[in-house]
Amino acid sequence: MPHDHSNVAEHDALVVEDDAGNMEGQITVDALQELLVSKGLLTHPEVTQQIARLEAPGTHLGARIIAKAWTDNNFKHSLFENAKNAVVDMGIAVGEAQLIVVENTETTHNLITCTLCSCYPRSILGQPPSWYISKAYRARAVREPRAVLAEFGLNLSDDIDLIVHDSNADMRYLVLPQPPEGHASMTTEDLESCITRDHMIGVARDC
Amino acid sequence: MSTAPHDGKRVRFNIGDVVKVKDLNKSGHVRVPYYVRNKQGRVVQFCGLFLNPEDLAIGNTAGPAIELYRIAFNQADLWPEDVLNAGDQLVLEVYTHWLEEVFDTASISP
Amino acid sequence: MRGYHDVGGKTAGPIPMEELPWMHWEKQTEALRNLLGDGTRRMVSLDELRRGFESFGADKYAKHSFYRRRLEAMIDVLIEKRVITRKELDAAIANKRLVWTEVK
Repeated sequence: MPHDHSNVAEHDALVVEDDAGNMEGQITVDALQELLVSKGLLTHPEVTQQIARLEAPGTHLGARIIAKAWTDNNFKHSLFENAKNAVVDMGIAVGEAQLIVVENTETTHNLITCTLCSCYPRSILGQPPSWYISKAYRARAVREPRAVLAEFGLNLSDDIDLIVHDSNADMRYLVLPQPPEGHASMTTEDLESCITRDHMIGVARDC
Repeated sequence: MSTAPHDGKRVRFNIGDVVKVKDLNKSGHVRVPYYVRNKQGRVVQFCGLFLNPEDLAIGNTAGPAIELYRIAFNQADLWPEDVLNAGDQLVLEVYTHWLEEVFDTASISP
Repeated sequence: MRGYHDVGGKTAGPIPMEELPWMHWEKQTEALRNLLGDGTRRMVSLDELRRGFESFGADKYAKHSFYRRRLEAMIDVLIEKRVITRKELDAAIANKRLVWTEVK
C-alpha cells in the first residue's frame, strides 16, 4: 500500500510508492513484459533499448537549445516559427507533435503546467519532476501562479505579466528565459551550465 | 507569437478573433479543462490539424483531422472572484468544435 | 460532468517539493507503452492510456502513484482489446512474485 511522505491534507498528498508498492510495480510490469514477449509482441532487447532511449534526454538538451537561442538570433527566430524543426536541425530528436518556445522578457514571465495529466517535453527534457505531476501544482498553477512561484522562491514583481500555459493538447512547451548579464562574453559551456530544468518550466526566472 | 506553419488554406479563426469555449457536456475523454468552459478569450495561434483525441481515446482513427488553436484568456476573466494582476494571462489549446465566435466584443475586457 | 483528473483551479495544499527517483519499473512501464503505441503495433495510444486512467473511478485514481496508474491503464486497455486476459496476467504475476521473493 502506498503511503505519502508529505504533511499536507490526505486528498492532496503526492502518492509515493513505498518498498512494497515498488515491488508490486516491478512484479506487475515484469509479468506484463513476459506475457507480451511470449505472445511475440515485443522482445526483451527492444525494451532494454527503449529504456535507454527514455534515459537519454534531460536538462542538458534543453540547455543547449536555450544557449543557442541566446547567441544566435536567426536560430531564436526559427524557434518561434517552428521549434520542432529548429531543434531537429540541431540534431536533437523531438518525439512530440510540436514544440512551442515561449520567451521571457523584462515585462513577461511564462509558466508551464498540464492540469489534466503531466504533458511535458519528455523527448527533450526527460521525465518531469514529481512536483510537476502533483495535484497541488496542476490545480494551483493555473489559478494562483504567483503564490506557486513564491513557493519556489520566485517573487514576481507586479510590473511583470505572468502567462501560464496549460499544455492540454498536442503542443509541448519550453520557456526561453532571459539571458544572464554579460552573456555575450560567456562561453557556450558557461551559458548552458546556468540553465536549469526549473528555468525551462518557468518556476525560476534569473539565469 | 507567430502562426504555426500551414499551407495557406483557410482556417476557421484568425489571430485576434474573440471566441467562447462551449461546454459540450461530453462524457468520455476530452482535453478541454472545466475551468475554461463558457469562458471568452482570443485566438493567438493556429496550431494545425490533428486527429481528435476524443476519438483516438476509443481507438477511432478514422478522422477527420480538426483544427487546433491556442486561446488566451485574461486570468481576471477566468477567476472573477479572485484578486489578480490585470495583465496575467492563461493560454491553452482548444479544438475547433469546442469554440464559437463571439461577435459582440463590446462586453469583452481588452 | 467534471472528471476527477480535471483539477485546474481546485483548492490544494503546498507543492510537494521532494524529488523522487525514477524507479526501474517505472521506466519499464513507459518503455512498454512506447513500444505498444509505436507505428508497428498501435495497440495502446497515449489517448487510450489517458482514457484508461480517467475511467478508473476516483478511488483507484487516488490510491495509485502516477506510474502505477499508467501501468494499470495500459493493462486495462490491453485486456479490453483482448491482447491479454486478466487470468493469464494474474498467473504471470503469481509466477513473478515467486521469483522476486526468492531473490529477496
